[in-house]
Amino acid sequence: MANIKCTRIRKSYGGHTVISDLNLDISDHEFVVFLGPSGCGKSTMLRMIAGLEEISDGTVSIGGRDVTHLPPGERGVAMVFQSYALYPHMSVYDNIAFGLRRQKVPAEEIRRRVDQVSNLLGLGQLLERKPKNLSGGQQQRVAMARAMIKTPKLFLFDEPLSNLDAKLREKLRTEIRRMHLELKTTTIFVTHDQLEAMTIADRIVLMRAGAIEQQGTPSEIFDRPATRFVADFIGSPAMNFRECSVHVEGDRAELVSGSIRLKVPAKDYRDLVSGARVEVGLRPSKMDIAAEGDVNIISGTVVLIENMGSEGQVIVDVDGREMSFVTKAFRTIEAGQRINFSIDPDNIHIFSRDDGRSLLHAAA
Amino acid sequence: MVSLIRRTVSRGFLALMILIALLPILWTILGSFKKLKDIVTPVPTLIFTPTLENFTTILQNPSIRDGLGNSVVIVGVSVLLGALFGIPAAYSLARHVERKKDDLQFFVLSLRFMPPVAIAIPFIIIYLDSGIYDTLAGLILVYLISTISTVIWLSVPAFERVPREIEEAAAMEGCSQAEIFIKFALPIAAPSLFGSLVFTFVLVWNELLLALTLAAENATLPVVAASITSLGKEVPWGVINASTVILVLPPLVFIGLLMGFINRMVATGRK
Ligand SMILES: Nc1ncnc2c1ncn2[C@@H]1O[C@H](COP(=O)(O)OP(=O)(O)OP(=O)(O)O)[C@@H](O)[C@H]1O
Ligand SMILES: [Mg+2]
Repeated sequence: MANIKCTRIRKSYGGHTVISDLNLDISDHEFVVFLGPSGCGKSTMLRMIAGLEEISDGTVSIGGRDVTHLPPGERGVAMVFQSYALYPHMSVYDNIAFGLRRQKVPAEEIRRRVDQVSNLLGLGQLLERKPKNLSGGQQQRVAMARAMIKTPKLFLFDEPLSNLDAKLREKLRTEIRRMHLELKTTTIFVTHDQLEAMTIADRIVLMRAGAIEQQGTPSEIFDRPATRFVADFIGSPAMNFRECSVHVEGDRAELVSGSIRLKVPAKDYRDLVSGARVEVGLRPSKMDIAAEGDVNIISGTVVLIENMGSEGQVIVDVDGREMSFVTKAFRTIEAGQRINFSIDPDNIHIFSRDDGRSLLHAAA
Repeated sequence: MVSLIRRTVSRGFLALMILIALLPILWTILGSFKKLKDIVTPVPTLIFTPTLENFTTILQNPSIRDGLGNSVVIVGVSVLLGALFGIPAAYSLARHVERKKDDLQFFVLSLRFMPPVAIAIPFIIIYLDSGIYDTLAGLILVYLISTISTVIWLSVPAFERVPREIEEAAAMEGCSQAEIFIKFALPIAAPSLFGSLVFTFVLVWNELLLALTLAAENATLPVVAASITSLGKEVPWGVINASTVILVLPPLVFIGLLMGFINRMVATGRK
C-alpha cells in the first residue's frame, strides 16, 4: 500500500508563494506525470514529497502515514535526479550498494541484489567503473538502479531524461514504462515534455503557476482539455485558436470568424448564446482535406507544407491569418493553391474568453 | 612546416620563461653545494667540486636544528587545528548559511587585511603579561588567526562546487548531516581543500614578522635563516644557500605527501 495524499499544500520562499492550496491523491501502483511549463512548481512539489524541501503548510502522507515532518531517508522514497547525482568518488557497484550497506544488509544479499538490478538495466559490465567514465545513458541507468535496489514504496523522477538525446530518451522512456509494469511501484515523474508525458503516464497532472490546471488520463487531457491553457500546452503541432462570435439557431450553434463558419450542437456546451464571443480551438491533427459531404469546411491558400515523414503539416492562410492541419495526403498539395479542409464537430473546442475554461459540459 | 616552426618557437619561448622563473632557485641550490671561493668569483662558475660542507655546517648549527623543529611543530599544529576548525566552518557557511553569508565571508577575509605589525605590538604586551611570550603555544595561537581564516576563505568555494543534488541523494538514502559531510562533501571537495591547506601551510611557514616579535629563544626557521646573514664578518653565502634549501624543502615534501594521499583517496574512493 503506497498511495500518496497531499492536502492543502502551500510553499513559500520568503514572502513569495510558489504553490498554494494544492490537493492531490495518487493511488497505489499509479504512474503519475507532473507536466507543466518551466517554473510552474513541478520540482518543488516533487521535492516536498521527497522531504528535500520543507512544506510551508499542509500535509503529505505516504501509504497512510503522515510524513510531512519526516526526513527524506525515513519516507521509503527513492529519487532519480535530473543530473543523476551519482557519487563521483565511488564505483558503480558502490553507488548502487551504498543504501543497502547503510542499512547493514548482509554482503551476500547485497551482491545478489546488485547483480539482479544491474542485469535488469544492462549494467553488468560497468560495475567497477567510476561514474565519470560512463555515457549519459549509462549514468542514467545507474541512477535508476540505485533508486530501484531499495525497493521503495514510491519512485520520484525529476526530468530524468532531459539530458539525453532524442533517440535514447525514447528508449529509456519505454524501459521506465516497462519497469513500472513489472514492479508496479507508485511513481511520480516530472517532465515539461508533453510527448513524454502522454506516452508514459497513467495520469497526467498538468500544473500552471503552482496550481493544478487539469488532471486526467493522457487521452482525457488531449481530447477534452479543461482550459485553453491545457489545449495550447498539449499536442504537437499546437492547436489553432480563433476568436468567434456565436449565432444560435434552434439546437445548432454557429461559430463565425471571417469566412469560417463552424456548426456545433448547442446543447453540448454551456453559455452559448447569440452574440457571445468565444475562443475556438481546432487541433491540426483532427482536421484533414475536406471530403464530399463534410459540413465544417474551412478554405484558404496554402502557404507552406512541412514534411513530417508519414504525415505533413499544411499551413494555410485563412482570411489573412495562418492555421495549420495535418494530412497524410500532403504530397498532392502545393504551396499557393486554394484548399478546403474540414473538422468533425466533436473535435471543436470552445473556451470562455473570460477565464479560458472549456464550455463543454463534460469538461467543466 | 610553418606550424612546426611556430611550435618550436613557442616551445623554446616557454622553456626560456620557465628557466628565467627557476633560475634564482637553481642558482641557490647550486650555491649550496659550492665552497665560498667558488661563489665569490668575479666570473660565475658552473664547474666546481661539490661539497656538503654547507649542509653539515647548517645541520650542526643547533639554532638551525631547533628552528627547523620549532617551525615543524608550530606550523604543523596551527595548520592542523586550522583545518579542524576551518573546514567544518567553511562547509556550514557554504551549505547552511543564507543570510549574511557574504558579510561573514568578508569578515573572515578581513582578518587577512590586517598588517601583522598592527597586531604584533599589542600581542607582545598581552603575551608578556600572560606568560606565553616566547612559547610554541603562543606562536601557534597567533598563527591560528591566519590558518583558520585562510582555510575558511579558501574552502567555502570548494564546498560550493560539490553538487547539491549529490548531498540530497545521500539524504534520500537516510544519511545524517554528519554522514553527508564526512562521506560525501569531504571526499568530493578533497582536491580543492588540499589546495587551501597547502596555501595556508606555505603562508605560515614563511611568516617572519610575528615569529620575530613574539619569540626569542624559540625562533622559527625563517627567523634563524635571516639571522645567519649576520653570523660573521665574512658573509657565509654557501651556508645561506644551504639554509634556504632547507627552508623550502618541508613545504615541498608536505605538498608531495598530501598529493599522494589525495590521489589515493580519490582513486580508491570507498568509505
Ligand atoms: N530556493 C528558491 N528560492 C526562491 N524561489 C524558488 C526557489 N526554488 C524554486 N523557486 C521558485 O519556485 C518556482 C517553481 O520552481 P520549480 O523548480 O518547482 O519549477 P519547475 O516546474 O520544476 O520548473 P522546470 O521545468 O524549469 O524545472 C519558480 O518560480 C522558482 O523561481
Ligand atoms: Mg524542475
